[in-house]
Amino acid sequence: MTKRKKRQPDQKKLLTPARQLIGLVMLFFLLGFLTLGLWLYTEGNNAWPRALVMAAAVPALIYVGVLGIPRLFPGDRLLLSLTNFLCAFGVLILFRLNPDRGISQAFNYLVGVIAMLLCAVAFRLIRQWKWPVLALMAASVALLTLPLIYGSEINGARNWVTLFGFGFQPSELVKISLLISVCWLLSKRRLIWAAGLTGISLLLLMLQKDMGTALLYYGTVLAALWAATGSGFILLFGAAGAAAGGYLGYRMFAHVKKRVAVWLNPWADRQGAGYQIVQGLIAIANGGLWGLGLGLGNPGVIPASYNDYIFTVICHEFGVLFGIVVLTIYLAIVLRGISIARRADNAFHALLALSCSVMLGLQTFVIVGGNIKLIPLTGVTLPFISYGGTSLVSSLCLVGVLQGISARTRADAAPADGASRKGRPAPRRKEGRR
Amino acid sequence: MKQIRRNILLIGSVLAALFLVLVLYGAYSLSNYGSRWFSTNANSYLRSVKQDVLPGSIFDRSGVMLASVSAEPQADGSLSWTRVYAEDASLRRAVVHAIGDSAGKVSNAAESFMAAYLYGFKQSAVERLQEALNGSLRRGDDLTLTLDGPLCAYIYDQVTSDRSLPAPARGAVVVMNWQTGEVLSLMSFPSFDPAAGAAESTLGQPYFNRATQGMYAPGSTFKMVTLSAALHDTALSSQSFTCQGTYLPDDDPRHRIVDYGTDTSQGIIVSHGQVDLMQAFSFSCNNTFAYAAARLGDKALRSEAMRFGFNENFLFRDIVAENSSYPEEDRSAWEVALTGIGQSKLLMSPLHLCLMTSAIANDGVMMEPRLLRSVTGPTGFTRLGFSSAPYRTVTDADTARTIRDAMLLAVNGDTATGSAAAQSGWTVCGKTGSAEKDGQENTNAWFTGFIADTRMPYSVTVLLENAGSGGSFAAPLAGRIFSRLINTQP
Repeated sequence: MTKRKKRQPDQKKLLTPARQLIGLVMLFFLLGFLTLGLWLYTEGNNAWPRALVMAAAVPALIYVGVLGIPRLFPGDRLLLSLTNFLCAFGVLILFRLNPDRGISQAFNYLVGVIAMLLCAVAFRLIRQWKWPVLALMAASVALLTLPLIYGSEINGARNWVTLFGFGFQPSELVKISLLISVCWLLSKRRLIWAAGLTGISLLLLMLQKDMGTALLYYGTVLAALWAATGSGFILLFGAAGAAAGGYLGYRMFAHVKKRVAVWLNPWADRQGAGYQIVQGLIAIANGGLWGLGLGLGNPGVIPASYNDYIFTVICHEFGVLFGIVVLTIYLAIVLRGISIARRADNAFHALLALSCSVMLGLQTFVIVGGNIKLIPLTGVTLPFISYGGTSLVSSLCLVGVLQGISARTRADAAPADGASRKGRPAPRRKEGRR
Repeated sequence: MKQIRRNILLIGSVLAALFLVLVLYGAYSLSNYGSRWFSTNANSYLRSVKQDVLPGSIFDRSGVMLASVSAEPQADGSLSWTRVYAEDASLRRAVVHAIGDSAGKVSNAAESFMAAYLYGFKQSAVERLQEALNGSLRRGDDLTLTLDGPLCAYIYDQVTSDRSLPAPARGAVVVMNWQTGEVLSLMSFPSFDPAAGAAESTLGQPYFNRATQGMYAPGSTFKMVTLSAALHDTALSSQSFTCQGTYLPDDDPRHRIVDYGTDTSQGIIVSHGQVDLMQAFSFSCNNTFAYAAARLGDKALRSEAMRFGFNENFLFRDIVAENSSYPEEDRSAWEVALTGIGQSKLLMSPLHLCLMTSAIANDGVMMEPRLLRSVTGPTGFTRLGFSSAPYRTVTDADTARTIRDAMLLAVNGDTATGSAAAQSGWTVCGKTGSAEKDGQENTNAWFTGFIADTRMPYSVTVLLENAGSGGSFAAPLAGRIFSRLINTQP
């Protein structure tokens, strides 16, 4: 609190540890893109000038994202810095894999940051959730039905929709609307409604044969349900349901059966079904502890290197130790979300913050576990890093919700004088206590 | 709210635990299997590096060149190199399964499994920078293996000149130092000349590394394991047995177990009469050991076999070896009795038998087999030296000594099966085996043994497929190898 009262921007404040760290991160990306520019130049690829543009643009984006946004919105700086780092890192890796994808991801990043801000602001402004939740419930079901009508099949799952020349994945967007609805229903003790909504969503996902996302929804809602009730019966019932669902999926869908067989022994068919897993493991082994170096590996041989297998690409070129660092950043984000949930002012906010953290954590676990052959591979993205606009926007929206809840909690808890910083009006703290 | 906060904390801990599992599993699988993933021929990155780096040379333990490289700079500045192998044709053929070939016909040999060294992956950034500044070609590290080249060539000549073996001679010979685990010979035949690129004839699978990948019934050599289990059983260890030439583990007459040489249709029955375990071992009495196995039961025998390394996932640093297997399912008394004499779906590689033999010699401690003696960087410094490591303890020292005495009796005793391997002035211990294989005219001949002397700590395992009895085919070859070892002192 004492630090906040210092208003004068003197010499010392310009070089706080946080600012030094952000400077280092900006330098990291500057050097990363310059390296890529050099690499593209020596390869004779005429995309190299674009690397120079990115070398300026991405550090600038980080500067704005980490230091600028808090001026607009009193969010959680730690959460903000970590997610920004991961998003920018995703742009770097994708630019290395394919410069066009990297640039398009940079735009996705920009859109995602705006979506994150909108979510955060929504959570600061909306006090009455009844009608919004009803709308979100309808939207969730409608969005999930869309692919069954207009969808196109990718990798065995029918979960893509193209509307007005704009392709997106509804199940990614529904993540946020479903979590808001379910958590609100749970906080109002409408358990049947919450279970019903989840059941319908899972059924629709199963019809799209999107087992990976269904697993994420299921695990997340189960966690929220258990947190709300603390009932061991729900845990038992949930585990039984997961086992039954898994078995049913295994029996019903040929592509699920194939993935399990390939997971058990990918080497048996290393040129066919096991190719992706085998090449992924080899790529990690090639990278070793320290990695081959940016631009020096051959991640192109791994199928889906830019989305499902991007963690493997990180281990390949940056090394396993860096991979562990990336995982630690994810864990820090998740634990920050958990701490926001514990500090939340009401049950709805607590459950929602928890669900957002669980969703991010579970998704990271499922895809990284699939990459290193700990669990069967399911086609979900690595949050913030994988290529894809919908996925990035939805992950950033989850963070936006966390930001909004955190800001709300802090505004409510802060004393009157401390709450008003840099001359902005104090948040309406009384209403928050309703 | 209080309850919800507590639950949230619990869920947070579960998530943190999941992340910990990711890191631990990743570290575990990478450290155990990373080098195996790296060296598979599916690694296209390794293939691309091979075009830019000169591979290091491979030497035997005393510096005899086994494989080196000859490079020709091309007009466009790129690199073209070919592997050059040892001058002696027998030596080339004798070590090709251990060192591999540039065409990649032999899998999991030094050429591929140690590619990380050979192609300079273990070189630091500083070294690479120095090379770049010197303008010299990138060159991988040189390997010095534990193999004894002249010994391998000698063994290869002995096998190929033996007219009594079916042509082409098929089998494997493994020679190890039982104190340190150094592998002196890891030979499979029929073989081929890597300098020619491919074999003249693929008859008898010349590219197949029988010593490490071949799966064979151990036959009577498995009696080492049965004996170890029986010695731990107080009733059996002091018992004396009466061998009547045949033994029925159950009431089914088709399940008759007889001794080697018995032919009931001709009325020939070999019987050993009143014997104790040690004598039965030296005569390789099937009836006694089948009876002992039936008495011990499947569970006791399996757990003993697993202590000796059956059903173990072998992850050696330098050698990729197929896992030996003891059947997991429930089995009948007849099958258990057959297992006691090394038949009935038991499968094992010659290398594993040599490891078990070495463990008996080394007071029950199995040493990890090592093929790599040292790695030398391009500038001549030693990157990696030799270190021997115990792999596992298969039996206690007292039991190991008793088995050693039984193996001594099996070579030196009256009417012992392995007498052809004996060396005057040296304590040679061993065990023969004649393993039946369906669809094969003769038995596979086995001999596995060692010199029980720390001045000459070598163990030898010989397998000759479809040759006949272990005592008359494998033991004499082992004897010649022992005498060569004694005369040359490697």
